[in-house]
Amino acid sequence: MNTENSLETIALAGNPNAGKTTLFNALTGDNQKVGNYAGVTIAKKSGEFFTPHGRKVRLLDLPGCYSLLGESPDQKIAASVLAGDDREEPVPAMVLNVVDSSALERHLMLTLEIIELGIPTVVALNMIDVAESRGIRLHPQILSEQLGVAVVPLQANTGKGLIEIKQSLRHPLPHPATISWITPGMTDEQKGQARVAYIKKTCELAARRPEKDQLLLSDRLDQIFLHPIGGWACLIGIMFGLFWSIFRFAEIPMGWMESAQGGLQKFVSQQMPPGDLHDLIIQGIIGGAGSVLIFLPQIVLLFLFIGLLESTGYMARAAYLMDGPMSRVGLSGKAFLPLLSSYACAIPGIMATRTIESAKERLVTIFVAPWMSCSARLPVYLLIVPLLLDQEEGASWQQAAIMIGLYVIGTLTAFLVAKLLRKKLGADTQKKHFIMELPVYRAPQWSYIFRHVGDRAWAFVKNAGTIILAISIILWALQTYPKSDSADPAEVLAHSAMGRISKAIEPIFKPIGQDGRTGAAILTSFAAREVFVSSMGIVHHIEEGDDDMQNRKALRKKLHDTNWPDGTPMFTTASLISLLLFYIYALQCLPTTAVVAKETGSWKWAIGQFTFMTAFAWLAAFVAFQLSH
Amino acid sequence: MPATQHLVKDLEQDSMISLEQAKVGCEFHIRFLSGSSCEQLRQMGFCETMRVKKISDGRNLICNVCGTKMAVSRELAHQIMGEATP
Repeated sequence: MNTENSLETIALAGNPNAGKTTLFNALTGDNQKVGNYAGVTIAKKSGEFFTPHGRKVRLLDLPGCYSLLGESPDQKIAASVLAGDDREEPVPAMVLNVVDSSALERHLMLTLEIIELGIPTVVALNMIDVAESRGIRLHPQILSEQLGVAVVPLQANTGKGLIEIKQSLRHPLPHPATISWITPGMTDEQKGQARVAYIKKTCELAARRPEKDQLLLSDRLDQIFLHPIGGWACLIGIMFGLFWSIFRFAEIPMGWMESAQGGLQKFVSQQMPPGDLHDLIIQGIIGGAGSVLIFLPQIVLLFLFIGLLESTGYMARAAYLMDGPMSRVGLSGKAFLPLLSSYACAIPGIMATRTIESAKERLVTIFVAPWMSCSARLPVYLLIVPLLLDQEEGASWQQAAIMIGLYVIGTLTAFLVAKLLRKKLGADTQKKHFIMELPVYRAPQWSYIFRHVGDRAWAFVKNAGTIILAISIILWALQTYPKSDSADPAEVLAHSAMGRISKAIEPIFKPIGQDGRTGAAILTSFAAREVFVSSMGIVHHIEEGDDDMQNRKALRKKLHDTNWPDGTPMFTTASLISLLLFYIYALQCLPTTAVVAKETGSWKWAIGQFTFMTAFAWLAAFVAFQLSH
Repeated sequence: MPATQHLVKDLEQDSMISLEQAKVGCEFHIRFLSGSSCEQLRQMGFCETMRVKKISDGRNLICNVCGTKMAVSRELAHQIMGEATP
């Protein structure tokens, strides 16, 4: 048993969106992701804190669940830990049950189920400010007497009540409560009815609601955001604004990073004599990792905007609106959030599918998520689209229209395949209907958003510094060795392992209008798509300069002038369309395949997805090339 | 249960409507749940004796359950039976 497991464990449990993770972060000083919709926490996470008596305890943040009988994968995780069925976790010494005091009638159902497990429990009566604004008269003392456990009022987002929570978790831990609402011998149905009756009685005593519900600002906002016409206009406007901002605002920091990369290459180049080590550092390390790091600003912006939508509570409204269109392809509104996240990166998108109750719908969503054009495809699009139009890279309406078209093609194909796959997998054994909580709108928690975005950015940088760096070095080695005596770069490349590989694979890529060199660049981008741009630069002998835009311009000029041995141009409209289609559809991201295997619990499914998408990409590129050639 | 009580219960049930049929803006008093998703509904707060307010209609209805807005599919709303008061 490791040190972490030898500590006493306190489980943090409650309904989704009750504020568990906010309390977890406040107690442990951690920075787990928080949001304002049900299902932000999809896996258990643990941290440590000290009780007022200096005792170190382990706090386990569980995914939200409405009942211990919940069916979605994230809810099952929570139920299994609380019931002591999770082999990785000890039975919790205590449960800190977080409830939303503005909706006690709904949250107490889980509270009673937890108390029935016989585990000492403390109830954190969270969001007292929201309850007060709704005119609910709370009596924590009466609630505590009714439940037989300590009840602590709390406002987790402001830290109000935190000291009292810590006091309540001190030793000796309380005894399990005496259960008065159910009696031995009751059937499950009778137990359910008894709980409902007890909750009703308890709430009448401890949380009286005003006769008339008060209209809050949140309700007024919903009159706009959920309006049958206005709601759609807002959703389209927000999505358009989100993507426009990402491309528009990211340009500035991207420019700085390009200059920094160029400057670093120049500096290292001046300090080192020419040779293999020089080339490895300049081309392999700085060039390889730098070509990926350049997209950090876009990723940061995308996560920032998605974090804002999640934090305010709008995301649940978007899922509600999207349920109709998604149902036409056999998915529900709950699949919208994972798919939207996949535009940034398919990995968090695939992990977010845990909130989907239907196993078949979840599988289908995981299968099509990589077809949402992620940010790694952008550099490829930015290289090819201006070449297709024979224009300079810039904000022309034709380039914008084609870029939007590429996103639309990926999304529509994903929906079409989802529809076919959903039909093939058949209906659920028990039909899952759409039901979703629409939380009250809240002001964004900026500190958490920034820390979360910072974490994501760091993870991206770490990835660039490890996996992508390793791939860049391997690629460089393949392109450098075995060495040739010739001074002609083309001959050097042809003699290298990469050149030989290119020659061997050319028959696969020729039917889609590409030669072996482009084939090799495509092959290198199977580890990470964005590698394609730097690989094309290397195989076409483009001298790396200080400015990446200039480098892409030089590369485009070179590609424009590249001919087949018979003298016909290589990069025609047909071959460029074929290349774009290949990049829309191919699953060129090893970490995504690994996450799919983990989430589906099946390497067969992950490899099947990889094979299908690669074959589909080749076929689409082949059809497009042959028809337009 | 005596036959008269059965009859009374049947008559009561006949006079009830589903949440799907209830008008927007009305208070709906849930009496019983009938269908394959009763457990799911109870877990989400749609329990017998609970009062909900129907806010909007459509493919998915929106209603207020104990201060929480919930979007519920029509199929699920069809399984929630009760009495509506304007």
